[in-house]
Amino acid sequence: MPRRILIIDDEDDIRQVAALSLETVAGWDVIVASSGAQGLIRAAEHQPDAILLDVMMPGMDGPTTFRELRKNPATAKIPVLLLTAKVQGPDQRRFADLGVEAVLLKPFDPLTLSTQMEKILGWT
Amino acid sequence: MATTPSAATLSMSEALGRLWTKFLPEIENRLAILKLAADSLRSGSLSAGQREAAHQAAHKLSGVLGSFGLHRGTELARQAELLLAQETPAASAVELSRWVEDLKILIDSRK
Repeated sequence: MPRRILIIDDEDDIRQVAALSLETVAGWDVIVASSGAQGLIRAAEHQPDAILLDVMMPGMDGPTTFRELRKNPATAKIPVLLLTAKVQGPDQRRFADLGVEAVLLKPFDPLTLSTQMEKILGWT
Repeated sequence: MATTPSAATLSMSEALGRLWTKFLPEIENRLAILKLAADSLRSGSLSAGQREAAHQAAHKLSGVLGSFGLHRGTELARQAELLLAQETPAASAVELSRWVEDLKILIDSRK
């Protein structure tokens, strides 16, 4: 059965490029959400194998969404990978300290995004 | 020995081309916000709100251009993002305008 991934990002272009990448290269099923609040609902409803979560979103940002995911027993154990265009060291360390599986940098390479995720999540 | 791109690579490349066309108006809109900020900075009229909007636009451009193969575009947008993250000295207007012009050339070259 193909993996199921939830992408939470307010940017339509990023969401669609990531979805295209994971569907075309890896053959995974992709669910999308355009806000943290919508992501919480989709995560509980679809039980994805992993979540790609944007850091900077209006309203509920990535770190807050992550904490909410962890509070809910239905989503607490789903691995989360943060996506960020913040390349500076202190930002990345702060995000990593949240307890996510990894912090992935934007822009990502659509041809290798799924391989990168597989390695991080031990799916290879 | 020459290698041929895999079916996935070809299909990905074609699909990315379609997404680029779809999102080009949004990308050009972000660039227009940056250009407006550079012009305002040059004339000494860059407001805090305008700077923040330009900072956001640069952040979004830096996060996406590289995924479409425009890695230099990501670098230029990132420089603009860093410059606009705080109160921007008027002396930086020339630099910002140059980055915006280079971004426009790169984006136009992908059309």
